Amino acid sequence: MTSRPSRTCTVLSNESMGGGNFCLRLEISGEWARSSPGQFVMLSPVAPSQFCFSDPLLPRPMAIYRTDATSSGSGIVIDVAYKVVGRGTALMRAALPGSLMTVVGPLGQGFTKPGDGIGAVLIGGGTGIASLYEHARILSEHCRTVVLLGANTAEMILGRVDFEGLSLELHVATEDGSLGSHGLVTDLLPSTLEEMPCSHVYACGPTSMMREVAAIAARRRIPCDVSIENNMACGIGVCLGCAIPLGEGKGFALVCKDGPVFDCRTLGWEDC
Amino acid sequence: MGRLLMSGTVDAECLMVDFAGLRLRNPVLAASGTFGYGLEMQSYVDLEKIGGFVAKSLTLEPRYGNSPPRIAEVSSGMLNSISLENVGVEAFIRQKLPEVPQEALVIASVFGTEIAHYVEACERLSSEDRVAAIEINASCPHVKSGGIEFGQNAQILGKLVGQVRSSTVGTLLVKLSPNVTDIAEMARVCEAEGADGISVINALQALDVDLKERRSVLWNGLGGLSGPAILPVALRMVWQCFQAVSIPICGIGGISSAEDALKFILCGAQAIQVGTANYLNPCSTEAIVGGLLDYCQENRVGSIQDLVGCLQPPRWKVS
Repeated sequence: MTSRPSRTCTVLSNESMGGGNFCLRLEISGEWARSSPGQFVMLSPVAPSQFCFSDPLLPRPMAIYRTDATSSGSGIVIDVAYKVVGRGTALMRAALPGSLMTVVGPLGQGFTKPGDGIGAVLIGGGTGIASLYEHARILSEHCRTVVLLGANTAEMILGRVDFEGLSLELHVATEDGSLGSHGLVTDLLPSTLEEMPCSHVYACGPTSMMREVAAIAARRRIPCDVSIENNMACGIGVCLGCAIPLGEGKGFALVCKDGPVFDCRTLGWEDC
Repeated sequence: MGRLLMSGTVDAECLMVDFAGLRLRNPVLAASGTFGYGLEMQSYVDLEKIGGFVAKSLTLEPRYGNSPPRIAEVSSGMLNSISLENVGVEAFIRQKLPEVPQEALVIASVFGTEIAHYVEACERLSSEDRVAAIEINASCPHVKSGGIEFGQNAQILGKLVGQVRSSTVGTLLVKLSPNVTDIAEMARVCEAEGADGISVINALQALDVDLKERRSVLWNGLGGLSGPAILPVALRMVWQCFQAVSIPICGIGGISSAEDALKFILCGAQAIQVGTANYLNPCSTEAIVGGLLDYCQENRVGSIQDLVGCLQPPRWKVS
């Protein structure tokens, strides 16, 4: 019955990706349910026996940036890309190779497949890009895939080198103009959709960015998935702490269980 | 091999407890609001290996709950202000209950803003065979008394427990609010009005501030503090209730390990509930059962019930 217990994992590496972003490489031994792109894990930067002494106490929901096979062939390696924004991520930054962490997952609903598979556009901003890499990698093997990435500066574009290694079209926007187009990444979306047949848009980034992407996709009647970030205590649908509004009188959805990926039309954007 | 013993009934007998008319296979229950309706936890916990679970608090009608932000993290704990979002009594009975594995022990939790609502919900739930007991959540504002929590006023609490008692067949537990001057008085009221047991304690009313916004971190302003931070307060209250009443006590408050559970048992709890630790590690309850079994075997404890209330007097009292 118990198919997804919390697991001990070992830190293989914890290196800078540049621009204040880091990549935590974790090896999870034994059986691990295959994740689909867009899913996440709950990560505590301590071993399971220590979790109740951890300060901060709560595990952190983290996007699975990339999955890999282990050198031994059993278990799995997952990469978690992150920026230090508070005490939880500061503890992650302090973790040395060989140290133990606790992970629960993979959790939540990932990205849906593009309808007719003609073409897909992925648009990411800031650390939201971390949710998109695995999806971009898989999509690029099946259909025309355009990736639009944005950040304040060129250095801050998370995983740019990794995306450049995939066979897809990559366009970049920076707010300081240090790379690619000068401005917001959402400015690139209308012209991209003008130029290519697109059956699905996928977005992850700041709320203001996703709201704009949702509006642009809606105008063109293109289905659009957005991946939502929120604070959560459990990640498995029982604390009900990660509720987001579904619009006037429609109640709430849970980011952990109903999401983190949502069809953008289901959300009450005016309240998000 | 050691782990295999966990599933063996013979070796696990030392953990069996009689609690308020219930025969529990072990004293480890999951606390309401941290375990969903049980179904959500099946991927992580074998529901037939823990003592049971208290399902999310139910109201007569479904409820949406508060707007976000609903939770916040504080030192060694968390604040929540979910406002008891739930599917309602009928949907629980029709959709959730039939899906729970047969061997799992289910305790329904009930709350309302008026006594009549509690009474009706308890009547409906206690007619269900699968509901082993009902736990009244008394930490709700009583609308007719201007919003004071039922559990904060001995008279109102007494009236609530008395009326619910007469409409509830089977085991009735009352979950006490810690936001009181004298928890023992509340325990005595519950005993006098016919409660079969008390669950001690619910979350402590609390506030944290977002300095940038100069506002509460929670949409609703105040929230409930839970987690390891409240454990010593809960232990104190369990001990005080144990001195005051003879009905059994279920200890709750920051329990994350078998060691924590044992402290509550020594202070007088016959069973315990694991709450916030389910968020930190969804397998917590089962791990605590394993830890208690190890403790009993290592310390030659024939029955964990022998430890209930065995707290030694403080050193200054020993001549």
